[in-house]
Amino acid sequence: MRALSSFLLLTIVPAAFAVKSQDFKTCAQAAFCRRGRALSARAQESQAWKSPYSVDPSSVAVSPEQASFVAAVKSSLYPNIKFSLDVRVHDDGVVRVRMDEVDGLRKRYDEAASWALTAEPTISPDVKWAVSKKDVRATYGAKNDIEVVVSYDPLTVILYRGGKAQVVLNGRGLLHMEHFRTKATGEEKAPVDAPADDSQVVMQVNNRAWFEGEEEDGFWEEKFGSWTDSKPKGPESLSIDINFPNHGHVYGIPQHATRLDLPTTTGENAHFSDPYRLYNADVFEYLADSPMSLYGSIPFMHAHSAESTVAIFNAVGSETWIDVGHPSATSTETHWISESGILDVFIMPGPTPADVFAQYTRLTGTPALPAHWALAYHQCRWNYISSDDVRDVQRRFDAEDMPVDVFWLDIEYAEEHKYFIWDKKTFPDPVDMMHDVEAIGRKMVVIIDPHLKRTDDYPVYKEAKELGVLVKSPGGENNYEGWCWSGSSAWIDFFNPSSWDWWKSLFITEQGDKWSWTESTVDTYIWNDMNEPSIFNGPEISMPRDNVHHGGWEHRDIHNINGVLLHNLTSQALMSRTDPPRRPFVLTRSFYAGSQRFGAMWTGDNLGTWEHMAVGVKMVLVNNIGGFSFAGSDVGGFFGNPEPEMLVRWYGVGIFSPFFRAHAHIDTKRREPYLLDEPYKSILRSLLRLRYSLLPVWYTAFRETSVTGLPVLRPHWVVFPKDEGGFSLDDQYFLGSSGLLVKPITDKGVTETSIYLPEDQVYYDYYSYEAYRGASKGKNVTVPAALDRVPFLVRGGSIVPTRERPRRSSMLMKRDPFTLRVALDTSGAAAGELYLDDGETFSHRDGKFIWRKFVASKQHKDLRIKSVDLAAQRPGEAVDGVALSNYNGANDFAKDIATVRVERVVVFGLSTKPKSVQVGGKELYWEYTPGVASDTKKQGTASVLVIKDPGVGVSSDWEIAVQV
Amino acid sequence: MLWLLLALPIPSLAGIEKTSGVPPSLLPRYRSPGSNSASWSCLDGSKSIPWSAVNDDYCDCPDGSDEPGTGACPNGTSYCRNEGHIGSLIPSTRVGDGLCEPECCDGSDERPGLCLNVCKEVGEAYQKQQEAERKVRRTGSKIRSLYIAHAQKEKKRLESQIAAAEAEITVREKEVARLKDLADTTESLSEAAIQHKKESPLYKSLIEHSLALKSLQREYKKHLEREKALGDILDALRLGYNPNYQDMAVLEAVRGWEALAGLPHINDVRKEEGSTEDEGAVAEQQEETLGEGEWSAAKLDKELDSLLKSDYETLLIEHDKHLGAPAGGSLLFNLTAYIPDVFLPQYLAFRNTLVSWLETFGIAKGINDDSADTSAARKTYQDAEKALQSAQKDLDKAQNELERLYEPEWYGSEGEWKKLDGTCLSKDAGEYTYEICLFGEAKQKPNKGGSFQSLGKFTHWNNAPGVEPGSPEYYTKQYYERGSKCWNGPMRSVTVLTSCGTENVLLTVAEPEKCEYHITMTSPALCLPLDDSEAHRDEL
Repeated sequence: MRALSSFLLLTIVPAAFAVKSQDFKTCAQAAFCRRGRALSARAQESQAWKSPYSVDPSSVAVSPEQASFVAAVKSSLYPNIKFSLDVRVHDDGVVRVRMDEVDGLRKRYDEAASWALTAEPTISPDVKWAVSKKDVRATYGAKNDIEVVVSYDPLTVILYRGGKAQVVLNGRGLLHMEHFRTKATGEEKAPVDAPADDSQVVMQVNNRAWFEGEEEDGFWEEKFGSWTDSKPKGPESLSIDINFPNHGHVYGIPQHATRLDLPTTTGENAHFSDPYRLYNADVFEYLADSPMSLYGSIPFMHAHSAESTVAIFNAVGSETWIDVGHPSATSTETHWISESGILDVFIMPGPTPADVFAQYTRLTGTPALPAHWALAYHQCRWNYISSDDVRDVQRRFDAEDMPVDVFWLDIEYAEEHKYFIWDKKTFPDPVDMMHDVEAIGRKMVVIIDPHLKRTDDYPVYKEAKELGVLVKSPGGENNYEGWCWSGSSAWIDFFNPSSWDWWKSLFITEQGDKWSWTESTVDTYIWNDMNEPSIFNGPEISMPRDNVHHGGWEHRDIHNINGVLLHNLTSQALMSRTDPPRRPFVLTRSFYAGSQRFGAMWTGDNLGTWEHMAVGVKMVLVNNIGGFSFAGSDVGGFFGNPEPEMLVRWYGVGIFSPFFRAHAHIDTKRREPYLLDEPYKSILRSLLRLRYSLLPVWYTAFRETSVTGLPVLRPHWVVFPKDEGGFSLDDQYFLGSSGLLVKPITDKGVTETSIYLPEDQVYYDYYSYEAYRGASKGKNVTVPAALDRVPFLVRGGSIVPTRERPRRSSMLMKRDPFTLRVALDTSGAAAGELYLDDGETFSHRDGKFIWRKFVASKQHKDLRIKSVDLAAQRPGEAVDGVALSNYNGANDFAKDIATVRVERVVVFGLSTKPKSVQVGGKELYWEYTPGVASDTKKQGTASVLVIKDPGVGVSSDWEIAVQV
Repeated sequence: MLWLLLALPIPSLAGIEKTSGVPPSLLPRYRSPGSNSASWSCLDGSKSIPWSAVNDDYCDCPDGSDEPGTGACPNGTSYCRNEGHIGSLIPSTRVGDGLCEPECCDGSDERPGLCLNVCKEVGEAYQKQQEAERKVRRTGSKIRSLYIAHAQKEKKRLESQIAAAEAEITVREKEVARLKDLADTTESLSEAAIQHKKESPLYKSLIEHSLALKSLQREYKKHLEREKALGDILDALRLGYNPNYQDMAVLEAVRGWEALAGLPHINDVRKEEGSTEDEGAVAEQQEETLGEGEWSAAKLDKELDSLLKSDYETLLIEHDKHLGAPAGGSLLFNLTAYIPDVFLPQYLAFRNTLVSWLETFGIAKGINDDSADTSAARKTYQDAEKALQSAQKDLDKAQNELERLYEPEWYGSEGEWKKLDGTCLSKDAGEYTYEICLFGEAKQKPNKGGSFQSLGKFTHWNNAPGVEPGSPEYYTKQYYERGSKCWNGPMRSVTVLTSCGTENVLLTVAEPEKCEYHITMTSPALCLPLDDSEAHRDEL
């Protein structure tokens, strides 16, 4: 504990609470980014800029039944260098554009997409490419309004909808694929590789300087700090401009600590001077507003306007910088500069946000449906120091009747940080400890990092070494050695398929003939940290780019993909340790496109400041629209000792984050919720209980994202894509399709706040039933925000299912009855959904679940509230991973919860007191409190009808008749 | 329609008795008001509900009192009878959660059939555990009573020590007073006393001698002047007479003068011109033979004046002092007399350092150098005072110990912790060995060698709000604070969590927060004797 904290402290000393910017490159410090930006600057200045890249018309080869074509591309700068172009349209309208160098000196890395994609996409059977003298074009779409035009000279790819350009590739002529070359010796430097005739030799001018610049800037070697990148392959960077001529807002490309509506990096008054950087890095004490790279990278960007939404996914695994500018308020230019790899861009035509999410998640996968408990509260700290400490923390939560589902162990459980190996001095009885935790329906999550202590008495290292699955140092001969928590360490190369089965075998809890983690249980889940990878003595706290992975690829080629492999394999390992498999839970710090299939992520080592609390909300939102909904930031802030008010507000943020975990650095004071004084302790208890009561809403939202890709947290532009007023909002958001609109407080001393209502609809305060009426042009309303409440409203027209009985863990709520909040809209109607299954296995894919729709509607003057079987209506869309052809309402799960009731129905906004409330002709017990009706424009407490115990099951069909 | 067929009402927990989960003391409040529709008041009086709403698995009362037997209310409690064991109240949140609460061994917290009634086993195990605890307490409390006896002995010892010290102090105080008086008198005699002293024959005689000497000096000086005038006349004669005249009277006079004044004959001198005075002086000295102690003429010439300027009053006091004692050190060293005892050790250490510097630079004299201006009377007095202070200190210490002996903030109201004062316990925790000297210092010593870290010194017991000093809980935590500072962290500190055990032993060491240690320990000092009811149960 001492050794590592002092190691950490060494890094703290120079500047407390400030990122060590000098540890990380700016664009000007990365040769290829410098070159890319210089290219862009030259294009900007030139009057007659024309991309040197063009399609050879004679080479265009369409394969009609596959709706794709290939063509040769050449650069006027290097006539002898050959490139190939492959353009195809998928059956969902997504356009994939690929370009690679062919017959070059080497092969460019072309496997990034294969790690991100779930499968090879299906080519549309309907699209017909038409070849002309100057372009190839295809028209498709339900309304036949989408047109893709690939122009030959210069090479551009433009996607139109209704005649309007949506996405333009190489419109500014910044496409540049640096081909492989041999290092020129002194006299060969003249950049003349065309067959030389005498006149050219005489001229001796650099005829490519207009495009490439005069100098070979950092082609063959690059220094940063004390590190030298040997760059044996020379220059191989890739530059491409992607413009959205009719979209004034771009979102996405996580992970950066900044606003949702991406601020500009180019143009006048650019918000940032550097481009957004994607280079997974362990950034210590990162800034709360910066384009610097962080732990993960998803090169997926939405472009949005009131008319349409489109998106692009640039499947590249190497370091990538992205400039963003708005030439006008209604257009966007972006420029993507990558260090290596092929061009592999997916254009998602939208046109709605929901379409884009469906298109993107069809490529990279929808978020996995998590285990139900994983949506509950996670209690973490670096570190719970012993098995008795863990038991004591559990005891104190229970003594305070505060719900918690998961206790976490950070690196100190492991002897000398040899992951899997318990430090028996402090954890003498790990399995007993886990059983004690599991006895209350809880789980444990234990950290496993990808660095292995280099000592032969560590079976994991020894086996990895013997298997030859360790990352190699430059040259590829020796195993790379770096410094991390465990001291001198080696890194597993998960790009090597030989590591896969071996890694999975490590997690088997039963004794076999090889070493495996028998000192764990099948309810032990995993946290993968440091997988950027973080290397204390490496360049930019990571791995040297010239390190060598399986297949001879350099680390630079796969850097941003590196983290997802560990996440993927650990997730597979947890599934494979039981038969039938159970849903895994693996938290990752580093991620890439596709990581959403493997578990959760968090925003890394945030600071205990209000700024970080606020930006954490935005980062989680960005991750959600980046396809990776299961996201959260450390509640309380990793570094620092938050004052009680801040901690309470942070829980307010946490209970409305998909992944809800409190975590703290080893140097901080303990801050478990039971340690606070009153009134804070009671407030935290009620916040925790609120999260638990809303678990049905969360779980239902996760079902939806697991099937449709629509994010769990939805910023305004996703829900109201035509409402300009909401395009830049990133401090309030909707929770799934539930109709809950949340605005966590992230400032000190707040007692009320303003919430933006995007429509002419009534919204009800969840706590006070106060009815607020919005306006069709958007309206801000002021809502109370005292410390004991998180401002959140129920949108009129929603039915919200909750479970209101406080329990110690979510597992213990399994048989608890439901409450339905029926929030009538201005027309007096409402609807909502509930999805439930066993929460732990994959039996939902066998049809063992319930998926209900609750509908409240006016019939004459009466109100009918009924429960219908959505699963039976739409079996094919019910669950992820499988399209069921039918649904059996009497499945095992439904039978198991047949006695689970709806114990209470609360109706907001009735206009008058009912005459009677009945089920099946039987009068129910009910109470009515008069108040504002949903169809009036008045603000005030809504009328509330509480129907007591209607005697109906949550899994059955029923109807309640409210006679007015 | 299908859904109509399915829409069978689901009974809420049917068959639950209205008094289910009601503790015996509240049973009278859960009496049927007559019919199911008759109203029943929530226990806090906030609401009236139909009797049928009691224990119907739906929360009606804000205080949760309508659902003692279900989990419907978030804030209620439920009573398990636990026949065969001890009844207990559990939070409503534990009712119907699918877990069989250990506190509810009769299984009444869950739906029938889920939990077995294990009250017999639980009761037996509980009895066994109680018995084991009682056994520890019996043994421990016996040891504790020895500690208490030790404290009583200590009390006696300290009391007699105090008595002896007080007696000694009385004696010493008198002695100090006497010596102080003596020293002071010398230093602060009154005018009258001086006059009286001047009446002394010795002093009078001294003054007479002095006056006589002054008169003699005056006469002597007169004669010297006359002699000089005569000499001048004779010298003029000697140098000016004409030897050729052969006037024998003149020649005899010159020769006589030359012999008296030790001058060479003038006729010889004239050949070699020079001074003759030195020769004359030498001749004079050679001629003079002094009696013992007698002054030479030169001395008389030089020193008689200063002798005659003597301050006879001071001499008179000095004379008195001479009859008294020689004195001690300088002010610097005597500061000890003014330093409060608590600071004395620090002061002495500081002084020694300071003095050694001052000595080095020649500014102060060593501690052992007698100060010339302090009389013997003062030194005697100061020595006596030091002895008194030392005795006082011993007394204070003993009194302090006696006060702490039964002070709840220290050794407990029965003095049960006194025995352990200074007892050092240690625990090998792998990398380090932790040592606590009770009421002293806690240390962390690396097992691989190297210097130890102080984890702090005893500061207080469990002073958490609501914990009464002297209560058993008060002694379950001991705090050692202000140890050596952690790098970039707080000063190390220890909380010692103590429970009853038959031995004084450290059980575990943990560092739940950086540099804040928790050490568990057992001690018989925390083993309270079994009270009558407990002891009675013991016999069953």
